[in-house]
Amino acid sequence: MIDNGLLVQMLIGALLGLSVYLPLAAGQLSLATPAFYAVGGTLAALLSTRWSALGATADGGFPVPSLLLEMALGGLLAGLLALLVGRLVLRLQGIYLAIATIALVEIVRVAILNLPFTGGAVGIFAIPQPFATAAGYLLPALALLAVAGWLCQRLERMPLGRAMAAIRDDELAARCMGIDTTRVKLSAFVLSAVLAGSTGALAAHFLNTWNARQGSFDASITTLAFVILGGSRTWLGPVVGGLLLTALPELLRPVGDVRLVLFGLVILLGPVLAPQGLITPALLERLGGWGLRSATDRKTEEAQP
Amino acid sequence: MIETLLQTLLNGAASGGVYALVALGYTLVFSVLGVINFAQGALFSVGGYLTFLLMGGRIGVNGALPGWGLPGGLPFWLALLLAAAGSGLVGLLVERVAFAPLRRRNAEPLLALITSLGAGVVLVNLLQLLMGAEGYAFPHGSDALGGLPDALVIAGARIRTIQLLLLLISAAAVLALSLWLERSRGGRALRAVAEDATTAQLLGIHSEAMVRLAFFLSGALAGLGGGLIGVSVSLPGPYFGIGYGLKGLAVLVLGGLGSVPGAIAGGLLMGLAEALVPSEASGWRDALAFAILFVVLLLRPRGLLGRRTVEKV
Amino acid sequence: MSQPLLEVRELSRRFGGLLAVDRVSFAVQPGEIFGLIGPNGAGKTTLFNLISGVTPPSSGAVLWRGEPITGQPPHRLNRLGLARTFQNLRLFEGLSVLENVLVALQRRPRSSAAGGLLNSAGHRRAERQRLQAAWQLLEELGLTALAERQAGTLAYGDRRRLEMARALATGPSLLLLDEPAAGLNPAEKDQLCQLIGGLRQRHQLTVIIIEHHVPLLMRLCDRMAVLDFGVRIALGTPEEVRRDPQVIEAYLGTGGHAS
Repeated sequence: MIDNGLLVQMLIGALLGLSVYLPLAAGQLSLATPAFYAVGGTLAALLSTRWSALGATADGGFPVPSLLLEMALGGLLAGLLALLVGRLVLRLQGIYLAIATIALVEIVRVAILNLPFTGGAVGIFAIPQPFATAAGYLLPALALLAVAGWLCQRLERMPLGRAMAAIRDDELAARCMGIDTTRVKLSAFVLSAVLAGSTGALAAHFLNTWNARQGSFDASITTLAFVILGGSRTWLGPVVGGLLLTALPELLRPVGDVRLVLFGLVILLGPVLAPQGLITPALLERLGGWGLRSATDRKTEEAQP
Repeated sequence: MIETLLQTLLNGAASGGVYALVALGYTLVFSVLGVINFAQGALFSVGGYLTFLLMGGRIGVNGALPGWGLPGGLPFWLALLLAAAGSGLVGLLVERVAFAPLRRRNAEPLLALITSLGAGVVLVNLLQLLMGAEGYAFPHGSDALGGLPDALVIAGARIRTIQLLLLLISAAAVLALSLWLERSRGGRALRAVAEDATTAQLLGIHSEAMVRLAFFLSGALAGLGGGLIGVSVSLPGPYFGIGYGLKGLAVLVLGGLGSVPGAIAGGLLMGLAEALVPSEASGWRDALAFAILFVVLLLRPRGLLGRRTVEKV
Repeated sequence: MSQPLLEVRELSRRFGGLLAVDRVSFAVQPGEIFGLIGPNGAGKTTLFNLISGVTPPSSGAVLWRGEPITGQPPHRLNRLGLARTFQNLRLFEGLSVLENVLVALQRRPRSSAAGGLLNSAGHRRAERQRLQAAWQLLEELGLTALAERQAGTLAYGDRRRLEMARALATGPSLLLLDEPAAGLNPAEKDQLCQLIGGLRQRHQLTVIIIEHHVPLLMRLCDRMAVLDFGVRIALGTPEEVRRDPQVIEAYLGTGGHAS
């Protein structure tokens, strides 16, 4: 049922879930992840098909170091875009920010559709392959997810991560405690964009073709659903949400055309049945013995006089 | 030259009217619950397909019941009215499954974005199961518009009757709704709930009933928009409402969340701005709404006519 | 007189047609406990919001050690050494008591984000220092036993003290306390009085305190100002203020709060 190709897609889903989670951990509902994903993917698709120095071979092969370089560049470009856009949109609050980021996604989508060098509705195809099979993509996808998870885990024990949690609870109080909230929110937004951009670069090679449909409003909401259904209070929530919800439509394939209706029902009923999402801090507390316990707990015991 | 301009302006005003309908639908729900109903775009699709079926359209080969259709075929205006009412009922259903359970639990408002979108996904895919993914065109000619000619000549310009009807009907709907909100008992009750649900409750206004009323009206407005666009352009597939739903969202914010005059002004502005995009750049037209929205949000973070709120410390 | 730590000059704030704060001036000396009293709606909290940068003033100036700081954002003012609590309590309710204090210890000491990500030796040392400082503050405010509790689940008096611990964690020279005794019983009010006096000693604090409970203020404050309808109607030692005829008429005379 779950082949290597689906596994890679699931990992990509988990990565995008984390990208939505990062700003949300600082209280910012940003739906811009698909825009940054599209930017990273488009950059990788263009570079690998147009720039021969990266080493694409005539039979469609591609060196792995070039893939890693593209992932870095995709993240960098998306991060720069986030730095520019974030300064403007992060002044907006709540639903206004959400809608402004939807607008960003639509603008990027229409731009990719209409720019003279991105291949229009068809997009860019025959993107060279660094790996002969889908299994090859598992390693870089897992590595990126490991880096992202480690980043989120570290954040919990750092001033930046604590500031994000404080802003999520009460932005004004955080400002009065000396936290430069603009900077913290921007950091979370840029981290989210870098992650989505790198993921996009990897996904472009994996999918072989890349077009404007990769970053659309639908994707904004599905990636948000990863976080809400998985649980938005810990970083494991979006990972689990991304893995499960990406697999779901494929696993439902045997039921035929009804599967998208069922997928919609899951999104509709999930928040009603589990408002906190699947993975909650309380659940992790119960799993404490397995070493998943929240970081501060352990540290406080060490430092207690 | 003048003729083209007149035509362009009419086209712009006509689609602007439809955007205003969708945005008003969002506004109604937003005013009473403070949340966005993301199923609005799907209800737009539902309205389009209902109108098609009520006018006697038959299901295509990829649908669940190929060749099936409702017996007879209603005149355009009656079909439109019934389809709007039908979409309103579907809107009520959306409220029941996607909003009411969360409200009862006092859940985070953010969750309603997800559940309502889930409801939208279900609706659109049910439409696809029933009708297939293919496009549908409405019958044209004098039959379709109940005996009206297909085009009129006004001041030397040839104007499609349906465009004019689109403008008139959406203007009438918008006007009727604003008057109703302003003057009638029900409308005042709805606004009272929007202002302050607890006080309204004390005054004996049943806010749950008002919430349902808002969802019915909101669904009806979306359905009306879908029917009008369907008759005027065609039904390109079950997903066609989503795009209008998004434009409506842009209009909603442009005008300021919760503002009725803002939704109308924003809709017209957006429709006209799009109509004025030269045809060489038509591919970029879909981004225009969002580019305008982006700029407006940055200059006026609460929309053109939005209310300013001061945070209490 | 030495240079005041904080001075407000002709400070005004208008909300629509209402002048919430009307050309208020006073200066607070280093080490002082300065009281602000006045009936409800007199503009006390608005004045705190103007001083702490939460609301920009319509006119007038705020000076910090003689330098103008009017209109600076709250986080910058906090880094200068100005911390506050909130009348309606604004804790980070989803975080633990300890985390609430740690958030405010962001910059004491500073550590780089890169060091944090790599868990460098410098970062670990900084974290240890922050934790030590946090535990010390919790101890000082009697919150040690509650350290792991979620702030949203605390009892009222504990929340008030956690707000003070959090404000102190930012290392202020000036502490603005907005009705710290509200909702406390007489015994707790007594304890609070002693606590504030002790904190001033140990942290070399200057304190401005808004309070309705006049006897408490009279006992605690070196000097005080009285606001009525946004206007400062009196300024002086508790004894001077008590004898001021305008104050007796506008505030104490009503009897309601004086008991």
